[in-house]
Amino acid sequence: MNGKIGISLIGVLLLTIVVGLLWMPYDPNAIDLAHSLSSPAAKHWFGTDEFGRDVLSRSMLGARISVLIALGAVGLAISVGTALGVLAGYLRGWTDRLLMMVTDAVLAFPGILLALALMAVLGSSGSSIIFALAIAYTPSVVRVVRGTVLSIREREFIEASRAAGDNAFRTMVRHVLPNIVPPIVVLATSLFGWALLSESALSFLGVGVPPPAPTWGNMLSASRPYMDVASWLSIVPGLCIAGTLLGVNLLGDALRDWLDPRRRS
Amino acid sequence: MLGYILKRLLLTLPTLLLVSVGVFLFIRLIPGDPALVLLGEGADAASLAGVRADLGLDRPLPVQFLTWLGHAVRGDLGRSIFSGEPVSTLILQHFGLTALLVLTAVTLATLIAITAGLVAAWRQDSAIDLAVVGTATVVLAVPSFWLGLVLLLLFGVKLGWLPFVGYVPFSESGVQAALFLVMPIVTLTITESGVLTRMMRASSIDVLQLDYVTHARAKGLPESTVLIRHVFPNAFAPTLTLVGLTLGHLLGGVAVIETVFTLPGLGRLMVDSVLARDYPVVQGCLLFTAVVYVVVNLLVDLCYPIFDPRVTAR
Amino acid sequence: MRVLSLLVALGALWIAFPARAGSVLRARLNSDIVSTDPGTRRDENTDGVLLHIVEGLVGSREDGSVAPMLASRWSISADGRVYTFTLRPDVVFHNGAPLTSAEVVWSLQRYLKPGTRWRCLEVLGANGIAPVTSVTAPDPHTVEVTLARPAPIFLTTLARADCGATGIVHPDSVQADGSWNAPIGTGPFQMGEWRHNQFVQLKRFARYSALPGPRDGNVGGKHALVDELRFMIIPDSSAARAALIRGSLDIIDNLYPADLMGIRGREDLQFQSVPILDCYSLLIQTQDPVLRDVRVRTAIALTIDAKALTKAITRDTGSPNNSPIPVASPFHGPAEARMRPVDIPRARQLLKASGYDGSVIRLITSRRDPEMFDTAVIIQAMAAQAGLNVQIEVLDWPAHLARYTTGNYQLMVESFSPRLDPTLSFGLFIGDKRQEPRKVWDSLRARALLDEATQAADPAVRQSLMDQLTLDFLAEAPAVVLFNSSRLSVVRAAVTGHQNWPSAQPRLWGVGLH
Repeated sequence: MNGKIGISLIGVLLLTIVVGLLWMPYDPNAIDLAHSLSSPAAKHWFGTDEFGRDVLSRSMLGARISVLIALGAVGLAISVGTALGVLAGYLRGWTDRLLMMVTDAVLAFPGILLALALMAVLGSSGSSIIFALAIAYTPSVVRVVRGTVLSIREREFIEASRAAGDNAFRTMVRHVLPNIVPPIVVLATSLFGWALLSESALSFLGVGVPPPAPTWGNMLSASRPYMDVASWLSIVPGLCIAGTLLGVNLLGDALRDWLDPRRRS
Repeated sequence: MLGYILKRLLLTLPTLLLVSVGVFLFIRLIPGDPALVLLGEGADAASLAGVRADLGLDRPLPVQFLTWLGHAVRGDLGRSIFSGEPVSTLILQHFGLTALLVLTAVTLATLIAITAGLVAAWRQDSAIDLAVVGTATVVLAVPSFWLGLVLLLLFGVKLGWLPFVGYVPFSESGVQAALFLVMPIVTLTITESGVLTRMMRASSIDVLQLDYVTHARAKGLPESTVLIRHVFPNAFAPTLTLVGLTLGHLLGGVAVIETVFTLPGLGRLMVDSVLARDYPVVQGCLLFTAVVYVVVNLLVDLCYPIFDPRVTAR
Repeated sequence: MRVLSLLVALGALWIAFPARAGSVLRARLNSDIVSTDPGTRRDENTDGVLLHIVEGLVGSREDGSVAPMLASRWSISADGRVYTFTLRPDVVFHNGAPLTSAEVVWSLQRYLKPGTRWRCLEVLGANGIAPVTSVTAPDPHTVEVTLARPAPIFLTTLARADCGATGIVHPDSVQADGSWNAPIGTGPFQMGEWRHNQFVQLKRFARYSALPGPRDGNVGGKHALVDELRFMIIPDSSAARAALIRGSLDIIDNLYPADLMGIRGREDLQFQSVPILDCYSLLIQTQDPVLRDVRVRTAIALTIDAKALTKAITRDTGSPNNSPIPVASPFHGPAEARMRPVDIPRARQLLKASGYDGSVIRLITSRRDPEMFDTAVIIQAMAAQAGLNVQIEVLDWPAHLARYTTGNYQLMVESFSPRLDPTLSFGLFIGDKRQEPRKVWDSLRARALLDEATQAADPAVRQSLMDQLTLDFLAEAPAVVLFNSSRLSVVRAAVTGHQNWPSAQPRLWGVGLH
């Protein structure tokens, strides 16, 4: 049931993005100073912002950009984090201790501050946000993966693989990796949600994708001065974020249930 | 026990050192000159050089770091470039507020999570369960600062029930300070309770299916005893981990809420000082945050045996 | 009976002299002040607050011209190098000590010491255009300042708000080791408590002797009508606006145009808009390979519809302007009022002729104030109409400042705080890039004209030089001036007597509470 709702919400999101690639009611960046801050009507279904730009078109483009940023950050964090986590968990010894020390050091930085500082160094752009968020999330991935690897490395098929003469690398790839997929999938869905939220929080604090490109986060942030006179400007991106996150979380729940043998009843 | 604690704390020293070096280098990598921000645009080169010398920014980096470190281990974190106040005073003042905000909110959220999670698990798949899960999931999806903005707009501006600017500290007026904190605490409680509730419910469901619960029921124990004395302690452990992680992460994450409600907390201090290039404050804050993070983790680990006798602190 | 008449007498006294016990006027700052040492470590907010506490030998009238403040008059020697100031006899410092030439000499010499980091040292120091060679006190009421060479800019410099108006402070303002303590000045308010990032408190100075006459600039008729000024530090403008509406704040005298909505038309609030002498412009790096060509620069200028931009960004409160001389300045004449028309086809022509290949041109802005940010968004959209590929880079303020100071940009949106003298306005743009990389206009001719204008005393001569400079500025387009804003203030109905002035400094004397 949850899964179905989740899939439909994500479906709506994907549909919006695909349609947006082909057609949008207006050019999302076209300004129309004479018609700024107009409320939702037939001409502009979601109204216009302070520059007269169509909110619906910007939300559609924003969907694409926000999702791409979140996917990019999560993808990068998962790839790097898994590699490091497997290394640490399987090899143990000095590799493990060193990696854990660095991971803990990064984890001790408040995530938002780390991303903020990184972006101040790298400059505000889509790629620097992806990079900054990936760096902030990689330690969590490393921790989870390492934990899972630790718990399965003692299992029999690992022993069997070693006995059969596979070297460390082959064992890691052929036996360890497939078994850590379930927790990673679950983690990925959570991270995606966090990445979406973090991107909007960073935009709120003043760093983020530079204008005029819309993201749901910077649309929300820009709506602040107009909250009481043009509330649609904050409601629309807020609902977009909430709706997407809801879908992702429900989907993640369904995935977790599906992947966990104990829960199948 | 004491030995264990000391050993744990000692083991974190390399991490703290790494954090300090990282922050020190990092903040200097960001383009921008604090001397220029201090004197304003149009300041001449001689004055700028003079101010940089005053601040010790013209000395080689290793010297700057070691000087700072030398003072830091003795408890002197230097002075803010912009206000001249001692960094340690700044941090403690701001931390007091953030700690109050975070601890209250997380405690409330945990209490809500325990109750809702247990009940939902106990009556799995019933209407109550669906309501709890539904609410928790929706709550998870709402951006915290958006919720804060909406509350501010509703209760602060439109209805005028609660104040929202010009925060008054407890030392001046306890009642006023409490009123200022109502909306931020409510926002944070709502936002954090979602994930904690789901975790509590998930682990309660797991525990409810275990053998010894069935045995306890078979023994004829009342349901409330079963829940409170047998299910809860065992189900709570993962949630406790999450609480620890949440506390640590909120130390910085609360910056956004503090910005929305204009509260002079630690999160905002960190963000503002990074954006202003106030090096001593940034370095001091991050060292402090790292220490708090370590201590919180340690406390959480020590609490485990209370809830799960199978886990013992080595 | 006796008791009754006593009570009546007391009551009569109470009515005749109503106690203004504890009247507090709550104003707003959008960021904390930097220090309490005038003209040294400062920004605009710092200047604004400190000018309630300190006063200099001279100050500024409402129209920006220099007027006597602590000096009742002055004379200039025949060779133009020696200024003799006569001090007012009735002035007292906040600690009760009388103002004498000894304190003036001490203050001035302190400003001239490099260690003080006084902002105007670059003008009045050894390497400046008006170096001060000596400051002496022939008698307790006279101060003599000698310059190395005659310089009409001297008095204007003394009056500069960003130099703390060369505020005279008592030696007890510094500690025994010479480090700054707290300002002991002569102004209508004295320093109270500074609670960092929360508020700055100023208290009425009962023994202040105001100059006779009505309120005029920061010199005339400064009467403190409330017991306490409290500058609340509220960075978030929507929160400040909401606080004003709710009654937790009395004055916002520097409102962003975006926050006007929901304020105009309310009966319990009074709104005021006064054009100020600031300057919002688009700076162009004339040494950049692409922008070196005047055709590209002109093309950019031709795409910008300053009128529409100003209307949108300032919500119709600002004044579009293409000249560095602000609209509210007495020197803004017909020559300065000419606006460049929008001409997209011609812009395209020019770009084609210059060989512009569509490469990216970076436009730097920051979120320091919303107008700067919004201006960049609009310019980017307008420039795109002619095929210019402008990409916006948003920097935080320190990074922006660094890039501005080193000239490391292609295009930059910049806002300059008010300059009360036209030569200072042009001085923002004109300079030798090798010495001051932040100056956009490097041309020898412009520098020569500006020097001439700085030396000239005759207003007619200055006006014609300004006109010439404006013409050259429009032709060479080293920058595009966009508009001058207005200072928007909103006060609660109970607040009386508030009036903004073109220098854009807050002015909370002469302001009372019902």
